[in-house]
Amino acid sequence: MVVQKSVRKKMLPIIKNINQKNKMKKMKKIILSLFVIAAALASCKSEKKETSITSVEPIIATKPSSDVADTLPSETSIPVPASTQATEENQISPNSGTVEKFSIQQIVTNYLALKDALTKDNAKGAANAGRALYANFKSSNGNLIEGKNKKVFLDISDDAKEHAEHIADNGSNIEHQREHFALLSKDMNDLVTTFGSTTKLYQDYCPMYNDGKGAYWISKNKEIKNPYYGTGMLTCGSVKKTY
Amino acid sequence: MKRWLKKIGMILVALLLAIQFYQPARNTDKGIASSIKLDSSYNIPVSVKNILQKSCYDCHSNNTRYPWYANLQPIRYFLDGHINEAKKELNFDEWGTYSNRKQASKLDIIIKQVENKQMPIASYTLIHRDASLSEAERKDLISWINDLKIKDE
Repeated sequence: MVVQKSVRKKMLPIIKNINQKNKMKKMKKIILSLFVIAAALASCKSEKKETSITSVEPIIATKPSSDVADTLPSETSIPVPASTQATEENQISPNSGTVEKFSIQQIVTNYLALKDALTKDNAKGAANAGRALYANFKSSNGNLIEGKNKKVFLDISDDAKEHAEHIADNGSNIEHQREHFALLSKDMNDLVTTFGSTTKLYQDYCPMYNDGKGAYWISKNKEIKNPYYGTGMLTCGSVKKTY
Repeated sequence: MKRWLKKIGMILVALLLAIQFYQPARNTDKGIASSIKLDSSYNIPVSVKNILQKSCYDCHSNNTRYPWYANLQPIRYFLDGHINEAKKELNFDEWGTYSNRKQASKLDIIIKQVENKQMPIASYTLIHRDASLSEAERKDLISWINDLKIKDE
């Protein structure tokens, strides 16, 4: 809209000045120049191809050109893929304990970081933690879970992922972050109840939030630090249970 | 200098004309009845149905009532962008595909968004005056959703 208006404003006096003949000439010129540009672009592309081929040629001058692409990497780079594979394996193996055994520990850690940021009214910090949490849910492999818990996890993760994403996207709207945090905390409760936690966790309750409907959160400390109102009402709330 | 400006202007006009030919498919399911739509999941009273229709469905469903200027580019392009984004967040015509957990979450956030006057979004009601909700309509919509939530639980 804005672009259109400004263009029209600029164009009006110009268009008025140009008579019909001139217009036609101009149009021809423009169309011609567009063709020239297109032709130039096309030729640029083909030139690039040519040059890239010629620059490769001297190196593989002794070999038939069609096989070069296939033979060159396989010959010269045999040790390379092998080594990268080895390092990849090395990188995976220390983690494989956690990869093979499904764990929600990373998710819990980032949820707690998110909760801590909200207790400090730190919307930016909450957004960052939300982003990390979103990545956790996205990368966690539900296929490693056996039995019906797999479905439970996918169901929770599908919902929690969205809350994490919204919290990540609302780094300047802490109230909206808290709305999603309340729903996320429900998901986290189900997650921890189903899959357990390696560290002791507390479920806390704020009776005031959501027009007195109340909301839960999870903490690793017994001491109450309410994330729903931040510094305004930090110690309001009570422990409901331990996981 | 002046000639250059003219040339650039002409090219811009030519481009503007050229992009008018880009008219992608409209957001419509041509009235096909479907079991995953919101009204297949619930018995919606007429008053609420009207609210949803006039204030929500243009973006949050598979059926948009396009304004006349939707035929102009690049306006159409921006409209489509908004509609796609809105549908990704919440599509009442695909309500049945959401899990119970997700439905409960969506209902909760809908209430908050309507209560806080975040929805219908201001940039939309600015042009679609008829889509903005009165206090009574907001209350009507929210109390209907609250009733749903109680039934679900």
